[in-house]
Parts: sequence; structure tokens; C-alpha cells
Amino acid sequence: MEDGTRQITRPFTVALLGNPNCGKSSVFNQLTGLRQKVGNFPGVTVDKKLGKTALPDNTEVQIVDFPGTYSFYPTSLDERIVVQTLSNPFDENYPDAAVYIADVTRLEKHLLLLTQLRDLGVPVILALNMADVADREGVEADIASLSRGLEVPVVKLSGRTGFGIEGLKRELQRLHSELSFKKPPPLFYTPDEAILATAEAAREIVPGANLYQGLLVAHHYAWLPFLTDAQRRLVADIIQRNRFEPLRSQVDETMQRYDRFTPIVRRAIRTPLPAGRRVTDRLDELLTHSVAGPVIFFALMLLIFQAIYTWATYPMDLIEAFFGLAGTLVQENLPQSWFSGLLTDGILAGLGGILVFIPQIAILFFLVSLLEEIGYMARAAYMFDRLMQYFGLNGRSIVALISGGACAIPAIMSTRTIGNWRERLITILVTPLISCSARIPVYTVLIGFVVPPKIVGGLFNLQGLAFMGLYLLGLAAALLSALVFKWILKTREHSYLMLELPEYRVPVMRNVLLTVWEKVRSFVWEAGRIIMAISIVLWVLASYGPKADMDAARQQALVQAREQQLGETETENLIAARRIEASYAGHIGKFIEPAIRPLGFDWKIGIALVTSFAAREVFVGTMATIYSIGSADDEYSVRDRMAQERNPITGKPAYTLAASLSLLIFYVFAMQCMSTLAVVRRETKSWKWPLVQFAYMSGLAYLGSLLTYQLLA
Amino acid sequence: MVAIIAGGKHLSEAKPGMAGVVSHYVDDQAGSKLMSMGVLPGSHVIVVRKAPFGGGWYVKVDNFYLALRKEEAASIVLQ
Repeated sequence: MEDGTRQITRPFTVALLGNPNCGKSSVFNQLTGLRQKVGNFPGVTVDKKLGKTALPDNTEVQIVDFPGTYSFYPTSLDERIVVQTLSNPFDENYPDAAVYIADVTRLEKHLLLLTQLRDLGVPVILALNMADVADREGVEADIASLSRGLEVPVVKLSGRTGFGIEGLKRELQRLHSELSFKKPPPLFYTPDEAILATAEAAREIVPGANLYQGLLVAHHYAWLPFLTDAQRRLVADIIQRNRFEPLRSQVDETMQRYDRFTPIVRRAIRTPLPAGRRVTDRLDELLTHSVAGPVIFFALMLLIFQAIYTWATYPMDLIEAFFGLAGTLVQENLPQSWFSGLLTDGILAGLGGILVFIPQIAILFFLVSLLEEIGYMARAAYMFDRLMQYFGLNGRSIVALISGGACAIPAIMSTRTIGNWRERLITILVTPLISCSARIPVYTVLIGFVVPPKIVGGLFNLQGLAFMGLYLLGLAAALLSALVFKWILKTREHSYLMLELPEYRVPVMRNVLLTVWEKVRSFVWEAGRIIMAISIVLWVLASYGPKADMDAARQQALVQAREQQLGETETENLIAARRIEASYAGHIGKFIEPAIRPLGFDWKIGIALVTSFAAREVFVGTMATIYSIGSADDEYSVRDRMAQERNPITGKPAYTLAASLSLLIFYVFAMQCMSTLAVVRRETKSWKWPLVQFAYMSGLAYLGSLLTYQLLA
Repeated sequence: MVAIIAGGKHLSEAKPGMAGVVSHYVDDQAGSKLMSMGVLPGSHVIVVRKAPFGGGWYVKVDNFYLALRKEEAASIVLQ
């Protein structure tokens, strides 16, 4: 593709690059605000954050936020994406220009990648971030001197306050207008003769590549996806002929770059002893203390779960009340027909079932991304690395395991920062055992059922503690499964912790709120669509059945009602209950009943188990639909309705302690989520692992439930 | 005053509070990653503390802080 065609077919595309912890996402949020979306890089599931912004002259700019990277010598999947995109001028995400974000208070460590990026020939602007912190700490930066030394334009800005963002846009506009004629500066790095020969030869193999791209191809040809097998063989030949030693070449390059830019930085930046670090040092003496650290960590986690359980109740009650009211209004004002049934029992029930979980998801992600913003999550990874290693996991796995408390899907996607394939795979396989937000409704209904809402110790709600207990059970199952997988799966790949511990910072609320917004939106749109579709399909399944069966059910109910001399309402209830038993849904539920009877489940739960394969939260929606159809007064919440449910033969409550606990255990372990399986398929690039995962989790669930029910009943 | 670690020792032999200067790396791959992150020959390192559960090293390198596993610390040889 020529430059001309690229400019016609797509907007001016700017890559945002920088080291981890440089504050890149703050700058991205400042530039794009809500005009952003999350996609994937082709072929892999590394997040590609895309956003739009406009320059002062109204030129539309597309911003691509690349993952944080230390250098073009990648050790994780995230870093590989950056290398494979930027070493291939034909890649669809290859940028027209780049903005390189660097922390001005630590510039000496943040410029390696900039000089590499510059050598690719991509026009680049260096943005010195954290200008506000620099001012406070008395860091002085001579921009002109820095720009002269590095031969790139330099601007100062702050992703936290928004200072300098307009200046960056002006600089981008200037860059845009010079794009067609400005020549890139000479290479920052001068390879010695042996390395030069290899780079020159490798460059010939990839059309359009410059010298540094040639060198990167020589280093990474084994995995770079855009090379053909023929090209790979040619590169391998060149390497052999020139006796190219990759590591020596990398050391040579890295040292030369540092040696060249360090004096430039020292001339331009004056740094007094940073005061912020002393605060961080003092905090870390406590927060990473060998005893106090883990205690504080678990106290924080307990606080988060109590917060979800307590705070979320108020908005959830409001949402439930609203949909109850809406259902009544529709029923009172519309004539009885299939349409009013679809509206109240299909659509409104489904919508209520989606929206009611927003408070919990929002609260959890608010707190988790707050901890991330502050810089605490890196400490958690540091503290638990050794422990996680014992289970075949990585210190970073703790972040996935905790995020798994909200939803396994983003959690599994967050394992991308784990460089080691085996540690990553084990994290992916066990994360869905951590109780996610989709289990909250099931837990809420059933805990409300078996645990009284008492306050113990003057502070903790007994139901909250039971909730915590289920989470711990899931966690224990996850860790034990990890241990088993560690024993089964073998690898020769290297594993690293090597984690930067950034200074603690006051969180940027904008970033936290954008994360919450993104999570809620993706839940409503992605999980929500499945929930809505299933809610409607279910309404059909539960409302219709083989005609002969449905008619017979009605007749039987009428006969029985006459015999027992039931009142009008009770007769209606009985007819409704008999009709759902005769419906398509009832047929499916009854078909699987023999298999789940030993677990204490009846055919109604059977239906809910089948439909909630799509997503666990569907369980409650299913129960709501089954019961709102099974009863005349469908404004009752599911929990109240289940409490009323009587065994038609014995007249005793249908949901006993043993059956409810068995169901709880089932939902702790079971892989009841189609979306998670799909994400695992994408992350592992094969059906093998999602199938393994589905099999072992279903097995655990069946055995766990069987034991629970048989011991208690 | 911080204690200086004797030359030729590995960082993993240092106790919390000890300081040294990076000379070279034993393990090529770990060394490559350390260099990318800014742990270079000539960098000043101080062991700040060790993690609970017999875990990793909390290390100050020049002006930034890093969490390292024991094996990663062992790959750094001091001057």
C-alpha cells in the first residue's frame, strides 16, 4: 500500500506508546473522553483501545492506544503486538505518526523505546507526562535542549489535569502538515559492521522495511506473523551466514542507546530528590510488610465484598421496584394477550434481570480500578507472587483472580500481561471458579432463603458472611485445581515477575469512572443481549407446548380444583402450574430430572440449569419467568415466590435447606457461562482448553452437589 | 549507612538494606528483560525488603523500584 492510498482510505492515525506506568491511559482518556471503544488486534485478543479526537483545524484523528511496552525485545504477548505491528509497514494498525508518553520524573528510564520507535521512521512526538507532579517536586525540563538532542518534537503535559493536551494537538497538526515531505532523522543507534550486515540483508527480504525494521526482523523472524515461510528461511540463512548473535546484538543496541540519551537527559532535566517517593516508602513499609501487608490486603477484600453486598442493595431495590411497577402497569392497562405476556414476562423480566446487576458490577469495578490507579495492585502482585508460584500461577494472576470476582471474561483477558504461557493458561482455566457477579443473583436468592439476615459481632451481616464463605469456597477450588494443572501441564518456557512498583498516586477519578462505564456497558450489551434473548425464548418455551398436553393439563387442573374445592385464585394458580408443566420448557426439565434428582433438584430447577448454560444470571430470570407464569400475582420477587413454593404432594416447602445448599454448591463450581467458554477459546486459540475447562468444572459441580444433598437430606 | 555488598556476589545474596552496583547478568534472557526495564550494568541497586511467604525482592534501582523473584535477583551479578 502506498502512503497516498492509506491517507484516502482511513483517517490520520496516531499510535499512543510508552512504558507501563507512564500514565498513557490518562492521556488517552484526556484526548478521547467517551469517544473511545475497545477492540482486538487481529488474530489475538490483546485489547486495542481506539478513540477519536479533533485537531485545532478540525482534522479528525484516530488514536490507537497500544499496550505499555519497555522495548522492542518483547517478553509478553502485549509487547509482541507492539513489535509485530510497528515492524510491518503494511499492518492495518501501522500508524501515520506516534505520540510517545514518558514520565518526566523518571525520564532516564523511559526513553529506550522512544529511540527505538524513532529509528523505525515513524514520525514521533515525545510527550513529557506528569508535568503537574514535576512542577510540585521542582523538576525542571529544558524542552528545547531535549528536542535538539533526541531530534524529535517535545511537549509537556499532564494526563491527570489535562494541562498541555491542546499543545499536543497543535504539535500533531504541525506534524500532520509536514507528513508528506519531512524526512526522518538519521538512526539514533549505529550498529557495528557485523550487525549492520545482518540488518541490511534482512531488510531486503521485507519490502518497504528500513534498516532498523530489518534488524528487528532478524531478531524476531521466528514468531513475526507477517513473514512467509520462505521469508523465514531466507532470514535464517542470513543469520547463519553472518554468525548473528541476537543477545549480543541486543545488549550492544541497548547500551549504545542508553549511553547516547542519558547525557541528553541529564543536560535537559534537573531533578531534586523526589518527595513523593518518601511518602510511598513509608506507605510500603506498612502495605508490603510481611505480616501487616497480607492482613491489610484481606481486610481490603473483605471491605469490598461487604460494600457490594450492602451498598448495592439500595439501587437494586429501586430497580426491582421500578420493574415490578412497570409490569403491573402493563398488565392493568393492556388487554390480556400474547403481546402483554411477552412484554411483562419476556421483555420486562429480561430487562429487569440485566439492569439489576449494574450496581454490583459498578461498585466492584470502581473499587478494583481505584486500587489499580493508586498503584496498590502491583504491590498485591509482589506480595503474592511466591504464593501464586506455589500453585503454578504468577504474581499477576492475583489481579485476574480478583477481577474474576466481577466477571471471568475481563479477568481472563487481563491474563495477557502474564508472559509465561503455562502460568497464563492455568490462570485462565481456574479463574471461572472464582465467584463472579453473575453468581451474585443466584447466591442472593438462595442465601436470602437459607441464612437469616442477622447482624453478628455488631458489624457483619450474617448473609454477607455466608456470601464471603461461598467466595472463599470458589477461591479454594480455584487454587486446588491450579495445583492439579501445575502437576499435569509441563513447559520449558521462562517465567518472570520483574514488576515495576510505581509511586502511590492520588487516583484520577476520570480514569476510574471510564473503566466502570466500559465494564457496565460491555455487561449490558454483551451479556445483556444473551439474557434478553434467552428471556424471550424462555417465555415462548414456558407459554407454549404440544396442544394436546396443554389442553389435558387444563382439564386435569379443573378436575383437581373441583375435588379439593379450591377458590378462584388457587384454581388459577393450579392451572398455570399444570400448564407450565405441560409446556415445552416443562418437557425439557422433566427429561433431565432423573439425572439431577440425586442432587435434590426438581424439573423447574432443571429448566433453569439448562437455560443458565448461556449465563448464570439467567437462572434468576428463568425462575422469575417460570413463577410469574405459574402464579397469578407475578409482582412478587423470585425469592418471595420460591419461599411460597410448596411441594404439590407433601405441602412442605419445595426448597429445603439441603436442596438450596446443593444448588448453591452447584453454582459455585459449574461452568455455566457460554461467553466465558468463547473467550477462553479465543485466548487459547483452540477448543481443547474450553472443553477441558467445561468438563472439569461440571464434574466438580455435580460431585459437590451430590455430596451436599446426600449428606444433608 | 547502607552496607555495600562484596564484588562478584549475586543480588540474591544481599540482605535488606544492602546496596551494590550491577556488573553483568548470569542468565541471558533475564538480563535482556532487566536491561529493557532499565536495570543496566552500572545501575545502583538497594535491597529494600523481602516479600512475605518467603517471596520476592523489593529492590530500588537508581530512581525506580522493582519487584524481583529470587531467581531474577540471582541473575544479577554485582561489581
